[in-house]
Amino acid sequence: MSALLKAEGLVRRYEMRRGWFGRPVEVRALDGVSLTLEHGRTLGLVGESGCGKSTTGRLVLGLETPDEGRVTFEEQPLPAPGTAEWRRLRSRMQMVYQDPLGAMDRRLSIGAQVAEPWKIHGRQTSPEQVAALLRSVGLRPDHAAHYPHELSGGQRQRAVLARALATDPALLVCDEPISALDVSIQAQVMNLLSEIQAERGVALLFISHDLRAVRQMSHRVAVMYLGRIVEEGEPDAVLHDPAHPYARALVSAIPHPQRRGRRIVLQGDPPNPAARPAGCAFHPRCPVASARCAAEIPVLKPRADGRLVACHVAHGEIPAGSGLPAPTLAKAA
Amino acid sequence: MVEPLVAIRGLSVSFDGLPALRGVDLTVGRGEAVALVGESGCGKSVTWLAALGLLPAKARVSGSVTLEGTELIGAPPAVLDRVRGGRIAMIFQDPASSLNPVHRIGRQIAEALRLHRGLDGRAAREEARRLLDQVGMPDARRRLDAFPHELSGGQNQRVMIAMALAGRPEMLVADEPTTALDVTIQAQILELLAEIRRDTGMALVLVSHDLGVVAETCERVCVMYAGRIVEETAADKLFTGPAHPYAQGLLAALPPMTGPRRPLAAIPGGVPEPWAMPRGCAFAPRCPRRAEACEAAPPPLAEVAPAHRAACLYPGAAAVVSPVPAMVPA
Ligand SMILES: Nc1ncnc2c1ncn2[C@@H]1O[C@H](COP(=O)(O)OP(=O)(O)OP(=O)(O)O)[C@@H](O)[C@H]1O
Ligand SMILES: Nc1ncnc2c1ncn2[C@@H]1O[C@H](COP(=O)(O)OP(=O)(O)OP(=O)(O)O)[C@@H](O)[C@H]1O
Ligand code: SF4
Ligand code: SF4
Ligand SMILES: [Mg+2]
Ligand SMILES: [Mg+2]
Repeated sequence: MSALLKAEGLVRRYEMRRGWFGRPVEVRALDGVSLTLEHGRTLGLVGESGCGKSTTGRLVLGLETPDEGRVTFEEQPLPAPGTAEWRRLRSRMQMVYQDPLGAMDRRLSIGAQVAEPWKIHGRQTSPEQVAALLRSVGLRPDHAAHYPHELSGGQRQRAVLARALATDPALLVCDEPISALDVSIQAQVMNLLSEIQAERGVALLFISHDLRAVRQMSHRVAVMYLGRIVEEGEPDAVLHDPAHPYARALVSAIPHPQRRGRRIVLQGDPPNPAARPAGCAFHPRCPVASARCAAEIPVLKPRADGRLVACHVAHGEIPAGSGLPAPTLAKAA
Repeated sequence: MVEPLVAIRGLSVSFDGLPALRGVDLTVGRGEAVALVGESGCGKSVTWLAALGLLPAKARVSGSVTLEGTELIGAPPAVLDRVRGGRIAMIFQDPASSLNPVHRIGRQIAEALRLHRGLDGRAAREEARRLLDQVGMPDARRRLDAFPHELSGGQNQRVMIAMALAGRPEMLVADEPTTALDVTIQAQILELLAEIRRDTGMALVLVSHDLGVVAETCERVCVMYAGRIVEETAADKLFTGPAHPYAQGLLAALPPMTGPRRPLAAIPGGVPEPWAMPRGCAFAPRCPRRAEACEAAPPPLAEVAPAHRAACLYPGAAAVVSPVPAMVPA
């Protein structure tokens, strides 16, 4: 089956200024990310804050252009942002953000908001269509007359989804779609996303830091670290038997009612993308790093079992080391 | 029974006539680790802000909070000042609002030391460094001179913990201490709190909405719903045999890490708004076991087994991983 979405070697750099007069430093938010998403499937994207998940989402939607690499959607390269062609394509790909209230216009009724994409794309709408759309996400037709602050968090996220689904997209990028919701509501929204996928065959890029949610939703999982994918495979393969040392630490950190201890507690801080360590970017925190890790970047490539991993040790190229001494701190600027 | 360190009885709070807490009963023993879990807005933070006299003046507070017999509700400011940060320390939910951005962190910790332990100058600085060391801050001596914005989120959280420890508290209330942090850093902080408790015998109240975090850190769990405690029991017990339908629903809705993937057993509906609180059990509109009697009056928190209390007329030992709850006859 042909891929719906393909991203190859995406690189994205941002300039960041420290203070008003500081020299701008380059932040490599993405450092060569490739991914493929098939029709009707879900790819889960996990990783530490700042590793580039949202940036990946923005690039595959064409909201920003990559500095290197390319994105193809239905085998066509993405047109430049803002062009008429891009706008047409955009109705086929939608974004669902974390904060449903922030994603809505407080002054517009729910009915007006969910019909907005139709208006933008110059289509006529009837109250019946709005009602049908609201029903499809588990809201009632009378919710059309309400305003965002009159809905609960779960209902708001349903309304956001209804709006995203108005143009019958083939791809939904869901950036932390449940993390702002109450625990008892998260399950409702996950169920809804799965139902929508089963009914409409929409593909999902599901970005989340909640590994339980990612397992529930995904057909494949990619683990990112500092702008790169470091492991990718079937959810249960990656989450039950992670191969990359960072993925291992991440999985072992999932709080678990029946487990006590046995957690891999990583030393050190999350990395700074403006000062990317040489070699494997994980080496300053990696418990099994050895000298080669600081010198040579491990490539993401398949193991014998088909799992994609970027680690010298996981590929058996070098024996597991015992970690590298922490670099001395750079003097504070 | 030994006297608890802190005892909360019938604590009620309302803002502008709207109830936020509707009679909370809760005790914390010396050295104990107790968790408070529940939906956003159920009153977890307000419970401790009220206990420490930190609510705005418009809040109407009633009930009782005692610290080894001393009443704190309505206590004179001098008494509360000695308690806060001294005997009971609190790490607030929003760390950004608790560290002063324009002062170096060493100075902020030293200030807490001066306030609570009367330390000054060199002694304060040396103790500040020791505290930063204790909370696992790398290169603590140099970091004394850092400003909050020069530290990562996890490091700032460590500074907050160091400040909370400055007064050698008997109890630490940590309000969502890891929500804003990455999972790997969350693991570091939880490990740290456990270590401090082992070393000092400090009691811990952990406020969280993450059941997993709670299970690993605390011995006892209190589940709150709409301004009340609806279940209270040992952590192990809650995860294997919850009695209240809300607690059962929360556990059943958690996506599993193993086994086949199927639709989650979501709790239908949402939390009632404070201005539309049901007359009887607040969970009734969402409850699969609801019966007519539930709608008459709020069920009291009553013992269902030794050291296990639930506020439910029909508490039950439903299987933890239940299928979608069956509807109950209307
Ligand atoms: N517009 C921008 N200008 C400068 N830096 C940026 C910009 N957008 C993102 N970055 C940086 O790029 C890196 C990746 O950011 P991104 O938002 O993609 O991370 P993320 O994985 O989504 O994190 P989170 O889990 O916190 O949402 C971060 O270091 C971020 O600070
Ligand atoms: N200063 C205030 N003025 C008015 N209402 C308040 C105030 N502080 C809290 N409330 C209300 O009291 C209720 C309980 O709030 P609280 O902050 O204790 O919730 P919480 O359980 O800590 O939730 P979260 O998980 O979101 O932190 C909420 O409905 C909240 O809106
Ligand atoms: S073993 Fe080496 S290559 Fe593998 S993750 Fe650790 S530092 Fe990177
Ligand atoms: S009292 Fe009734 S409505 Fe409330 S939780 Fe128990 S069974 Fe459900
Ligand atoms: Mg993001
Ligand atoms: Mg709170």
